[in-house]
Amino acid sequence: MAVSETPPVVAPAPSVRTVDTGTNFRHPLYQVLLETPGLTVGTAALDDLMTWGLTNAMWIFPMATSCCGIEFMATAASRVDIDRMGVIVRATPRQADVMVVAGTITTKMAPRVLKLWEQMPEPKWCIAMGSCAISGDFYRNLYSVVPGVDTFLPVDVYVPGCPPNPEALMHGMMRLQEKVRRQRKGENVVPEVKPELLKITQPSVPRLTDPSRPSEQSHQQELSSDDPTTTEETAALVVPAGEAPTLAPLVAADFEGLLGELGVATLPTDGPPIIPLAQHLELARRLKAIGYKQLVTIAASHWPAGKGRKGADAAEVEHYEIAFAVRTIGQGSRVASWAVKALPTEPVLTLSGIYAGADWQEREQFDLVGVKFAGHPDLRRIMLAENADAHPLRREFPADAHAAPWR
Amino acid sequence: MLLHFGPQHPSTHGVFRMDLYLDGEIIVKAVPYCGYLHRAVEKLCEKLAYVQLTPIVDKNDYVSPMTNEQALVMAFEAMLKLEVPRRARWMRSLFAELQRIASHLLAIGTFSLDLGGALGGGSTVFIHCFRERELILDLFEDVTGARFHYNTHTIGGNRHDLPAGWGAKVKAALDVIEARLPEYGAMTLENRIFQQRTKNVGVLDGELALELGITGPNLRASGVDHDLRRDAPYSAYDEVKVKVAVAKAGDCYARSEVRVAEVKESIRLCRLFVDGMPEGPINSGKPTKLPVQTKIPVGQTYVGIETPRGELGTWLIADGTQNPYRLKIRPPSLHSLSALPYILPGQTVSDAVAILGSLDPIMGEVDR
Repeated sequence: MAVSETPPVVAPAPSVRTVDTGTNFRHPLYQVLLETPGLTVGTAALDDLMTWGLTNAMWIFPMATSCCGIEFMATAASRVDIDRMGVIVRATPRQADVMVVAGTITTKMAPRVLKLWEQMPEPKWCIAMGSCAISGDFYRNLYSVVPGVDTFLPVDVYVPGCPPNPEALMHGMMRLQEKVRRQRKGENVVPEVKPELLKITQPSVPRLTDPSRPSEQSHQQELSSDDPTTTEETAALVVPAGEAPTLAPLVAADFEGLLGELGVATLPTDGPPIIPLAQHLELARRLKAIGYKQLVTIAASHWPAGKGRKGADAAEVEHYEIAFAVRTIGQGSRVASWAVKALPTEPVLTLSGIYAGADWQEREQFDLVGVKFAGHPDLRRIMLAENADAHPLRREFPADAHAAPWR
Repeated sequence: MLLHFGPQHPSTHGVFRMDLYLDGEIIVKAVPYCGYLHRAVEKLCEKLAYVQLTPIVDKNDYVSPMTNEQALVMAFEAMLKLEVPRRARWMRSLFAELQRIASHLLAIGTFSLDLGGALGGGSTVFIHCFRERELILDLFEDVTGARFHYNTHTIGGNRHDLPAGWGAKVKAALDVIEARLPEYGAMTLENRIFQQRTKNVGVLDGELALELGITGPNLRASGVDHDLRRDAPYSAYDEVKVKVAVAKAGDCYARSEVRVAEVKESIRLCRLFVDGMPEGPINSGKPTKLPVQTKIPVGQTYVGIETPRGELGTWLIADGTQNPYRLKIRPPSLHSLSALPYILPGQTVSDAVAILGSLDPIMGEVDR
């Protein structure tokens, strides 16, 4: 995935917004020179000089958000050293000519990216680096990701890859220089569409319809089949029914003793023991007292009506199950975990008074799953924007809902 | 005064925002905001089959993809009660240790960049660190074909075997890195300016760090002797003795100190793993015709491993189908960042940059 085989694609004319990208750019001084009698002969040479200057000192504003940002750093660092092309990385948009969008842009980030782009002085160009910036990659259908920055920025060069190699970004820069040179000469920069290239997208090798192979359709059916006994090989990977995995590391002896004191006699085999909501804080306090000092995680899950753990009381109605895990420190570190069940209207008492780290964890679970924690000091959204209206990890929320304005 | 710091700022290590309430140059209150890189990974995981998840989690902590994959597949293996062959376990540990070196090199390099002009233009250490980091990326490229986002861990073992002569290449690279470590020491830990910028800056108390769930070098720099490689061994760590680096001070200097010490320890461990690499299969020997059909029986589990940034955990709720019902990733960086409101007040704005850099957060896994 990281090795990009296709060369960077030079974009056609900007489609979303008409932006002056160099063709019409004239410095005020240039205009004065142009209007001065006797100097018109020199302007062609001056034009060349400006083109030379523009293309050999393209300063980059790195809009580096994620993995591509690391490859961008590698491009700027010792081995590839993009400095030798006259490219200097500037951390402020006001001193940059090229914005390299390296990484996933989320709906929360997109307005900021646009604002930064608008702060860049003309002439300016944009490179979309990596699959996420080009199309959103595999996040493209999800609720929080913008499916490609060309939905709101005029992209000049696309550098494919996940992430693109430093060499690929270098190539992209060279293609941009070439594009600017041609643009300044007034040439058409829309690449010529070669018919033989279009053919590549058609399946040229009839692999799956080969009679010696199973047809594509039957392959699809096999994939979507829910029957666990389709092949012997897959069956070998699945633990036979009735033999649920033991969760020995989750329930250490001292924790079991504590559970016994609280009246939890039988330990479930399909997850952490479920504690009544009223005893939840008491258990946490006692665990901390016997050495479980570190908060590990809080994981809430949403169970619609009719779903839930087997043998649990509230399996039939819609509820949340919130699991907590804490850990002992030092040699032989153990994890203790327990869960509580809560109806959607039922608030769960916050753990943040006992473990300070529960603050952010509970905010996250509130934001994504929708669990309400009572007594929490600051129960705001943490991942989504403040004005978001849904809790995306609830089961009814679709996994392929495009991000709102880009839907 | 209210100062917005980020979300696009070269020293926020990605996209992260803080509202700093200032009195002159002193921070009175800090309110962090994250979620600018929230890519909905946990929702995506509910949609995909188990074997399709390794390339997804690669992108969470994009500075150490190897350990991301490991934490994920180990949770699946625990639920399936799969025995991983010894060679695969050793390979995983070797990859994890190499990745730790690469990740800490990046952490030291970018931290020095954060400290800015004080360190010989700031970018000197960064450029040096990246030079050595490339050596490790080359090694991984030899094995998996990718510089990062490897997708080499599978349920029950590894996908790519080590190529012939790879062990010698690893040792050569380790020799180069080890020889250059004193150089880094001179440029950072022994540098008077570096010490002035980092000593007694951003002191984090050990008890608070535990409560916040901070793990990894940040916890060990606060004097807590805790490392899952030694305390809850997994993969091949039960067969080797891991020396844990601990510092007492809890400041930015201590955190850098621990990272440099861990690079040294990882180099030692890598040599052990290369020398003792057992022969044998690299996968559990149960090749599936349709791996995408791997089903995990009903149940829940939690598996945590020690990544370069701390305990990366996977809480898996399986409902017997091919997709996880709920997959919660426990990111160490999120917990590290939650310390900011506690340690920033009383420091100056320039120290805020140093403190944030010293925590070494990776936004990809903070926001997921």
